[in-house]
Amino acid sequence: MSEPTITPDLMRISWGPQHPMSGQTRILLDVDGEKVHKIIADLGFTHRGIEKILENRSFLQGIVPIERMVMIDTANIGLGYVMAIEESLGIEVPERAHWIRSLVCELSRISSHLYAFGLQAESTGYFPAVFLWTTTDRTVLLDLMEELTGARFSYNFFLPGGVMKDLTEGFEDRVIEGVQYLRKRFEDYWTAMIENIVFEARCNDVAVLKPEDAIRLGATGPVLRGSGISIDVRKDEPYAAYGDLDFEVITESACDSMARTKVRYREIGQSLNMMEQVANEIPGGPIRTRFPLFTRSKPGEVYSRVETGRGEMGIHMFTAVGMNPYRVKINSPTLRNMYVFERLCELDEMLMADVPVVINSIDPWYLDSDR
Amino acid sequence: MNVNILASIWNYATEFLAVNAKPLLQIYVLPGLIFILGFAIIAVWFERKFLARAMLRVGPYYCGKRSGVLQVFADFLKLFMKEIIVPKDMNFLFFAAMPVLVSTVPALALILIPFDANWVLWDIGSLGLPMFFAIAGIAPLIPIFAGWASNNKYGFIGAFRVAYMYISAEIPLVICGAAVAIMAGSFDLVEIVQAQRNMWFAVPQFIGFVIFFLGVIIESERTPFDIPVAEVELVLGWRTEYSGILFGFTMMAEYVMFQAWTLLFITLYLGGFNGPVLGFLGVTGSHIFWMLAKFAFMVVLIVLIRTVYPRLRLDQMLDLGWKYLTPLALLNLALVLGMKMLGVY
Repeated sequence: MSEPTITPDLMRISWGPQHPMSGQTRILLDVDGEKVHKIIADLGFTHRGIEKILENRSFLQGIVPIERMVMIDTANIGLGYVMAIEESLGIEVPERAHWIRSLVCELSRISSHLYAFGLQAESTGYFPAVFLWTTTDRTVLLDLMEELTGARFSYNFFLPGGVMKDLTEGFEDRVIEGVQYLRKRFEDYWTAMIENIVFEARCNDVAVLKPEDAIRLGATGPVLRGSGISIDVRKDEPYAAYGDLDFEVITESACDSMARTKVRYREIGQSLNMMEQVANEIPGGPIRTRFPLFTRSKPGEVYSRVETGRGEMGIHMFTAVGMNPYRVKINSPTLRNMYVFERLCELDEMLMADVPVVINSIDPWYLDSDR
Repeated sequence: MNVNILASIWNYATEFLAVNAKPLLQIYVLPGLIFILGFAIIAVWFERKFLARAMLRVGPYYCGKRSGVLQVFADFLKLFMKEIIVPKDMNFLFFAAMPVLVSTVPALALILIPFDANWVLWDIGSLGLPMFFAIAGIAPLIPIFAGWASNNKYGFIGAFRVAYMYISAEIPLVICGAAVAIMAGSFDLVEIVQAQRNMWFAVPQFIGFVIFFLGVIIESERTPFDIPVAEVELVLGWRTEYSGILFGFTMMAEYVMFQAWTLLFITLYLGGFNGPVLGFLGVTGSHIFWMLAKFAFMVVLIVLIRTVYPRLRLDQMLDLGWKYLTPLALLNLALVLGMKMLGVY
């Protein structure tokens, strides 16, 4: 990509691969002293052609590469693809499998939000405790996942027609134990981070995204809900067991970076409630219907939506006669939110020190936007 | 013949040592070399271990029998061994001189600090406090030159952040210093300490005490105010281009600045070398022990602040400096003048 032109009295610097937690991206900033005038997100460094890879894999094989899109939140991503397959091939899923799917998705969402939460602490400066605390507490979730699925990351647990394995003996009790432990820890996070006077100073009234702008620019996930708009695929178009689970869609009216952080914090609370409910009320029955290894699809087109940790992900799958999808188009939440991020400096005054705070309040996962 | 020369050299050496034992000890041990280097090593080690505890980790573990003390030496050795990379088209001498100066100039201010009524390396009487501010006032210029010399955008922005920050912090500090001098009736640091024999100035000048405490953190670029080297947005600010031992010197500078300003803070507000008599330790009412004990307490306090608070933004720091610290410092000065007029002090 050629460098875009720059006005002569501005200085262009990169918020790029050299910085902590910038990941695999480069963001060009046009600054005048401290003030940011323009943000150019230079995405695409981690493009791996996942959409093309999916065309060359059978339906079942595709589950593995698509989970590489967001390593921190693999269950939600994988579920989107599996749901698209089920819809296009017309496969029924038993009730118990739906509940197990919801449980795994919520575990994955908490793990993703905890990571984002820790990075948000780190982005306000070398604020060491909270990031390491969240990383430590994620092991509780990862241990549960390992017991259930056999893997700590990239579970490949969902199959078209159900899930791979049933809950292990006494798994429900351990889920409740984990939930209780995490609830206790979350009180610490509130006092150490959200109520921290310096953290408040850094995040309050930074990068205000008004509701109308959020809709106009196509924000999604916690960014949209942080602007006070109650949109959540789990509520609007319930999939898995979300229709039966009690939860509310979290919104914050402040519209700033702190609001987006608080949305994540309170969503974790909702997820913990849901995990508890699943552990207490999960119905019995089979966990999957048979999915033949060699399946021939009919020509058609489906669109499945799931709410991942970063927002709504859509999978638009075209099928022809064959054993592979003909074309898969992934609508990823990070790309949509990065578009919002590029325009945030025009909507609200932003200083250079705000850039890491704002980008972590967006919670990007660059592999997700580059696919 | 030879024996005579050797004997005369020996005589001269013993005589020299006998006469100059105290200044030599001061230069090499207490405010001098060993104190500065030893403090840097112990502080780095303590900070690493303490932060690790707060983060639920162990910290340095393998070098030095689980305590990790030798890790600091290993890191210093590594910095010595590393190649020094100089940016293209750069005057090497100017580029390399800045890190050396930035860690030695604040060290000069240490020679003015009284560790005891008789333990001042450079006792210049009533010039002590103004001289400290003069030497410490030069120090911020050096990071500015270093940032400019780096020929790097991050370094450039970091250098200007240094300029903004120090100007807004040093004015309230000087006003507070003036208030202390007025209350003690002298600019002599030893007399300022002796004036606090009955009550530390932290009590009558509580506002000045708080301002100076924040000023110490700002001047030593410690965490709520480590804005010029903010790694999340500026890589390492004015230190970005420095590598190898030059980078080591810039790290060292942080601790030397911290040392100089903390010791001045103790001298001005926490009663310096005054303290209760501890008979069983052989510690009298005015003893070096009290200076070092208060210094250790301050180190723990400031590392604790680092574990708890993230970093402020530059504009917030400038707001703090100009809108709060400077007016409050003037208020403090007015209160001190009032107390002086009423004859309370």
